[in-house]
This record gives sequence, structure tokens and C-alpha cells, in this order.
Amino acid sequence: MPGMRPSPLLLLMTALVLAFLSLPMLAALWLSFSPTEVLHFPPRGFSLRWYADFFESERWLLATRNSLLVGGATMVVATLLGTAAAIGLHLGEFRGRAVLLGLLTLPMVTPFIVTAASMFFAFSLIGLAGTLPGLVLGHTVVAVPFVLVSVLASLSTFDGAMLRAAASLGAAPWLAFRRVLLPRIWPGVAAGAVFAFATSLDEFVITLFLAGPGQFTLPRQMYANVREYMTPTILSAASLLFLLSVLLLLVTEALRRR
Amino acid sequence: MPRTRAALTAWDERGLPPEAAFAALAEESGAALQDRRIGALAQRLNFEQSGLRALLLRTARAQDRLAAPYAESLPALDACWGDPETWRLLRRAGGPTTSLYLLRALDLTRTAEGEVRRVPPDQALFRTLFLRTLWVSLLVTAACVLLGWPVAACIAALRPPWSSITLLLVLVPFWSSVLVRSTAWFALLQREGPVNDLLLFLGAIESPLQLIGTRFAVLLSTVHILLPVAILPMVGVMARLDRRHLHAAASLGAGPWLRFRRVWLPLSLPGVLAGAAMTFLLAVGFYITPALLGGERDQLVAWFIAQYLTREVNWGMAAALSAYLLAMAGAVAALLRALTGNTPAGTRA
Amino acid sequence: MKRLLLVVLALLGFAAPALAQRELTIVAGGGRLQEHMRATLFRGFTQQTGIPLRDASYDYNVGPIRAMVQANNVTWDVVMVEAPDLIRGCEDGIFERIDWSVVGRDKFLPDGATTCGAGAIGWGVAVFRDLNRNPTGPSNWREFWDVQRFPGRRALRRGARMTMEMALMGDGVVASEVYRVLATPEGQRRAFAALDRIRPHLQFWTGGQQPLELVNAGEVAFAAGYTGRVATAITNGAKLDLNWDTLLFAYDYWAVVRGTPHRAEAMRLVDFITSTGPLRALAELWPINPVTAAVANDATIRERYPLMLSRHQDRGLHIDTEFWLDQGPDLEQRFAAWLNR
Repeated sequence: MPGMRPSPLLLLMTALVLAFLSLPMLAALWLSFSPTEVLHFPPRGFSLRWYADFFESERWLLATRNSLLVGGATMVVATLLGTAAAIGLHLGEFRGRAVLLGLLTLPMVTPFIVTAASMFFAFSLIGLAGTLPGLVLGHTVVAVPFVLVSVLASLSTFDGAMLRAAASLGAAPWLAFRRVLLPRIWPGVAAGAVFAFATSLDEFVITLFLAGPGQFTLPRQMYANVREYMTPTILSAASLLFLLSVLLLLVTEALRRR
Repeated sequence: MPRTRAALTAWDERGLPPEAAFAALAEESGAALQDRRIGALAQRLNFEQSGLRALLLRTARAQDRLAAPYAESLPALDACWGDPETWRLLRRAGGPTTSLYLLRALDLTRTAEGEVRRVPPDQALFRTLFLRTLWVSLLVTAACVLLGWPVAACIAALRPPWSSITLLLVLVPFWSSVLVRSTAWFALLQREGPVNDLLLFLGAIESPLQLIGTRFAVLLSTVHILLPVAILPMVGVMARLDRRHLHAAASLGAGPWLRFRRVWLPLSLPGVLAGAAMTFLLAVGFYITPALLGGERDQLVAWFIAQYLTREVNWGMAAALSAYLLAMAGAVAALLRALTGNTPAGTRA
Repeated sequence: MKRLLLVVLALLGFAAPALAQRELTIVAGGGRLQEHMRATLFRGFTQQTGIPLRDASYDYNVGPIRAMVQANNVTWDVVMVEAPDLIRGCEDGIFERIDWSVVGRDKFLPDGATTCGAGAIGWGVAVFRDLNRNPTGPSNWREFWDVQRFPGRRALRRGARMTMEMALMGDGVVASEVYRVLATPEGQRRAFAALDRIRPHLQFWTGGQQPLELVNAGEVAFAAGYTGRVATAITNGAKLDLNWDTLLFAYDYWAVVRGTPHRAEAMRLVDFITSTGPLRALAELWPINPVTAAVANDATIRERYPLMLSRHQDRGLHIDTEFWLDQGPDLEQRFAAWLNR
């Protein structure tokens, strides 16, 4: 309850659960600086050799490149589509809005493996499976709902009458969008874009099915290596990805506060 | 093989098909082998009954040696062609749709007479699998809600900036990737890994435990991964609750337990159900975590979908399993929606 | 909006190398072996022909190759594949037929050359144990199944292929009869019954490194593992005993992906990397299991690698590809059902 002081018991339980949530990742982060190949806890010493290993390995760098490429493209496509859909849903008055919103957010509540398998079937039929554009489209499908929700939230205080006012003053739709609408909603759009990028960066199952045989992204490369041979290099890759997600989270939090 | 299909469509499935079907098969299978179109049909037939792939290929390769009347030369090549059952299966495989995969994904099969029946127990797999998926998902959901509720209540009750800081501690794992967190657990739970080191150091165990490859490891890491998903919708609802209800209850003399049970719990229930729904929907589709941390008896439906897609290239089975999984998830979502009168996604933001 | 455009342009610049004219590409299973292949086979090809060559690795999952051919977006030219995937892909038109006028066919061991595949390397699975922990151990599959005489946990690969053969041999079927028996319903029941008998002592692995880890940690007493990896461990000083009488082996093949724009160069590449000179150079660096007669029978190489698969092949069982294509889907599902029971 807002404003009620939590009881000590509640605080203790919360602290324990939060410790459970945070400790594994912190431990993995620490272990990635381990000087030895066998993972002891606590690590006996400190070394950056696994990070060096990561940045010297052609495979890891290629996977990083692929991840950033697919993430960037997904971000652009998903942000454009999600923002357009949000504006349409907010300003438009038509039957079936609720249904449309439900449909657009469906990927959020569909088991991931089902989304991934369906996309594999559909994309195989039209020759998109195994291609980078196909992979970007696949990631876009799961990223759009996040953009949509984020932009809708920032639109909730926006009155469509302002656009009509701009139009009556002779502003072309594009100008009205840029001068009137965009300044109001850009934090929501930007937060959605970051979320889309993060979604693509983390996505694994769709990538497993849709990526071409040689197209390794960071998660896919990690998975292949963990199953074969667990080395601390994987932990350094995991730590880098983790730090990147934390960074992206802080960016969206900052945007939300604007 | 269009002519074979046409000849078989005309056939009434009684006795053996007409000579036209034999002739069409003999010619078209050879051509299909030459043009390398035979694989898909061979695989499809073989899924109906093991060994039919070999039969079809043997027939296709023997095309040059076969002569009319084919109704005699084909059974002479292999006695199976003299069995009406083979032709019935071929006719079925040529059809545009089949219920075969949907049946098999529930451990069912169709007999020669078209009757639906359970497969022999030594082939039954998928019912166990769906039940296991359901059970694991429910366990995980229950654990996430029980562990998440106090955190959500605490975040809702704390004053800024403490509430934001606590929320951030939930958001950080929420944002980091499932694979990263599964990998972290994989590193921690190794035989010579930190968790075993710690337990040995504390004297709780005498020799390292096998943790990877157990159901425990799967449950532990799945709960860890999905906990934020359960917490966030609960926070969303609890933070918006009107505290006047509580004050009113307190001023009417209700004790803490009564306040919790009669006011707080019912009011936060929509959030709890939304969090549970999200957790469950994600849990039923979990693939990486069981694949990395589970043993052979811990794999869920998702593992088999992936296996059929990437390894065995049996898309029919993958699609059938996906359809049932989606139905299972949909049923639970609908149930929760009926309970709350709200969509899980709607309460999320 | 301008900034967005800049981002898009920057990304396109990033992608540019991928869009450029694609080089001839060969794909294998990765690891140390591929590093040595690069040094000998792949670089050698470029030196001799002047054709630039790129290599990549994959996880032997052929689903994506299929998608690549269907999408008409062939980015790989030559791929190392397992035998069942090769035959199926050949029937489905996923792989080109090998042009045997370019690739010499006579150099291969029996079964080393098929319609769509040219033998790449042999691989095998056999029982091994830690000599310090277990001075004695089973010397054939019958004894592997004898948990009274040789107590201790055993590790096998998770999957029906190979495990069914092992179970029948453990039940007393001689190697030459295994596939005849396994093709019958009674034979299949017999195999599962044999597995049932020692189920409490069994553990299953998935990744190729796992059996070594299991044996090293003392988790299991005996394990069936890839002979190549066990041999490497022994060469590096591990005190392991590898029992060749329990060998099951098969070949991996080089296949040319259908629809490649580099078909002619790909055939020349396949011929080059299966010819004696480059393979000998590779064998100098790494104990490969050659599929060509000249290298397999080379006296110096045989002398040098006592743990080379082709020296012991006559004691092993050649895994029957056709059998597994016919019975595989059914048996794999029943095996999964058995595992999950």
C-alpha cells in the first residue's frame, strides 16, 4: 500500500528474494574475472584474460557484429511500426480498436517457442528463413508490442484536438506530426526503441530457428559454447551482455523521468 | 506424383487399386527420384509406417526393370505392394491435409480401419511431456507468486526513493537475457563450481553434488528468471491501490491479519493473477533453461519442438506440438481472464 | 529524422561487407580440427588455385541448410555433414550430386563416396575408462552390460542411434547380425529390454566433451565416447583405456549445397581437400581418421598414430545409414519415450 510502512518481516523477506534475484548474476560477473579456467569461488585472483580472449576471438566478434546489426535494424523497423500503430490506435476512432490492440500485443503473451516455430514455417514458405532480413522481421514481431505500449503510455496525455488545431492553422500533416506530436511523445518513442533493441539483443529462440546456419548472434554463440565446453570466456560474454542491458535499462529509466 | 494421386483418389480402398495406380506409381516414383522430389513423400510415408521410405526408394530405383502389367511386377519386386494397407497409406500421404501429426502429438494413431486409438505404451511420449510442462509451469508460477508477493507489497509500501531503488533491483534481472542468466546458473551449479564449493566449505555436504541435469536446477533457474515477470504486474496494481480502504479497516478495529486477508489480498488479487498469467505463459514455452540445466527427463514440449524443427526436419510434428502448446497457454490465459475480467497484457503497463 | 537516417546509413555501412560478392565458403564442425584444416586443406587450395576461400563452422543441424536452399539464399558452398543427413538431403535435392569427373572417386575407402557426398573424416564411438580408478573393465558390449562383474555407472549418448546397436550387442547379438535383428519388432523389443536391465546404472550425455568430463570426475566408471576426443586426451597424458572392440563408426562427408553459384569451384575444392597431399599434411598436425585409402594405409601415419580410427576399423561396427533413415524417426521417438518413462 502506498504510504504504509512495511513490517520488518516483509522487509526481511523482500531482502532475501532480492538477494536471490541479484546474487547469481553478480557471482557470474565476479567469476568472469577469474584467472583460472576452472571456476572456483571466490576466484583466486583477478584477471582480464577472458575478456582479452573474447575481444581476440573472431567468432565472438562476428557474433557481436551480427547482434548489433540485427538489434539496430530491429530497433529502427520496430520503432517506426510501433509508433505508427500507437498513434493510429490513440487518435483513430474506429470499431475493433481493442481487438487490434490485443492482436498487436499478442506476441507478448504467446509462448516464445510457438512464436518462433510459426515464424519459421511462415518464413520458409516465402523464402525469408535463414536470411538476415528474415531474422530482423522475426525480432521486430516480438519487439513491436514493447514500442507500442511505451508510446501509448506517452500518448495518454496527448489530446488529438491539438493536431486538428495545427491543421486548421494550415500545417501539413507531416509538419504537425513533427512540430506538435513528436516533441510530446519522443521520450516514449525513444524508450520503446531502446526496449526493442534490448529485446533483439537478448532474443535466442527465434534466432535459433530463423538465423542462417552461419549467422551467429551473441546469445546463439554463447549457447553453442556452453553446451560444448564451459569456459570463462562465455562468462565474460555474458557479463558484457548483462552490463549492456543494465545500461539500456538506465537509459529508459532516464527517459521515463523526462 | 499427380497421376498416382489421381488414380488413388478414384480408388475406393477396397481390395487392391486398379492397374492405372500401379503403372502411375512405377513411372512417377522413378521420375521423382531423378528430379529429386522423392524425399518429402518418402519421409511422410515413413512417418506413417517405418520402412515405407525404403520401399518407395527401392521401387523408384528399380523403375527400368519393371514392366507392365505393373499390378504383377510391383508385388513381385516387393510383397508390400500386394498389401492394400500400403496403398491406403500412400493414398493418405498424398492427401492435402492429414490428422496424423495432430494425433501423434497426443500419442494417438489411426488404425487401418480409420479408428483412432492410443499408441502402444512403449511409444507414448507426448502426454507425459505435456503433463510435465503443465506441472513444471504451475510449480514455477506458484513459486514466483509466493516469492514475488512480499517484494511487490514492499515496493508499493516504500516511500521514494527507496521504492524506485527496490524496483530497479527487480528491473535489472528483468532486462538481462534469459540465456545470460541460464548461463550464470550453469556456471554456478557445476560439479566443481561455486555452489558446490560453498556447500563443501559450509560442511553441508561431503562430496560435490551433481546439480546440473536435475529437475531442481531447472526449477531453481526458471523461478529466478521469471520472478521479475511475476513481480512487476503485482507492483503495478498494488501501487495504485487506495490506501483509504486500509485506513478505514484499521479505524474500524481490524487487526493486521484481518486487514491483510479481507482488504489487502482481495484488492491485490488482479495484480497477482496478471503476474501469474504472464509467468505461466512464459514458462510453458521455456526452452533454453531446461536444455542447458536439465537432464533427459526434464525436457519440456519446447525442446521437442526445437528438435523436430532443426534436427529431424519433421515440420509436421513441430507444428502439431506448437499448436497444442498454444492451446494450453490460451486455455490458461482465458481462465485467468475470466477470473479477473481483464487481459494479462492490459494490466502490465 | 535526420539522425535516424544517419543511424540507418551507419548500419548499412556495417552490413556492406555482407552484401558484397560472396567468396567460396566451406563449413565444417569447428574446433581444433577445423583450425588445422584451415592451415592445410583450405589455405592449400587457395595457394594452388588462387581462388579465395572462407571457412565457417556450424553445429551439424541441417534444418537451416534446408531453409537456405528453399529460400534460394545459398551462402555456403561446401558443408561437412553426417551420413543420414547427406542421404536425405540428396534425395530432397538439398545437395548437388558430386561431379565424379572432377573429384577422383577411386581414392576413397568403401562407402567413402556416395551420390552427393565425398568422404571427409571417419568418427567412432567406443568404451573407455580411467585406468587409475578402474584397472579392469569391460572388453566388449556383453561385458559392458554385465553390471555384476563390472560394477559402476555407465554413460552412453542420449539418442537411439548407436545405443540400440550397443544394447543388442550387450544382449549377445554378434555385430554382423545387429541390423538384421534390429529391423524386426522382436529385435527392437529385445534392445529396449536390454536397456531396461541396466537402466539404474546408465547415464546419458549430449555434448561430445561430456563423457570425458564424467569419466575424469569419477562420475561414471565406463563411458562410450568419441574416439577422437579420447585419443587426444590420451596423447595429452590422460591415463585412459580405449577399447577398440566396442567401436561403432561412420563417416562424415563433404557435400555441395544445391543452387550454389560456385558449383564448379566447389567440386574442385572437394577434390583438393580429399586428395592425398593435403590430407597427409593435415595428418601431420592432427590425428584425423582418413576416409581415403592412400592416407589410411600410409605406413608412417599408421606408425605415428596408434589411436587412429582406420587402424581399428575392422574390429568395429559400421553404423548403417540406410537402416537409420528407415527406422530412425520411429526408434528415436520410442527411445525418447523410454527415457521419459
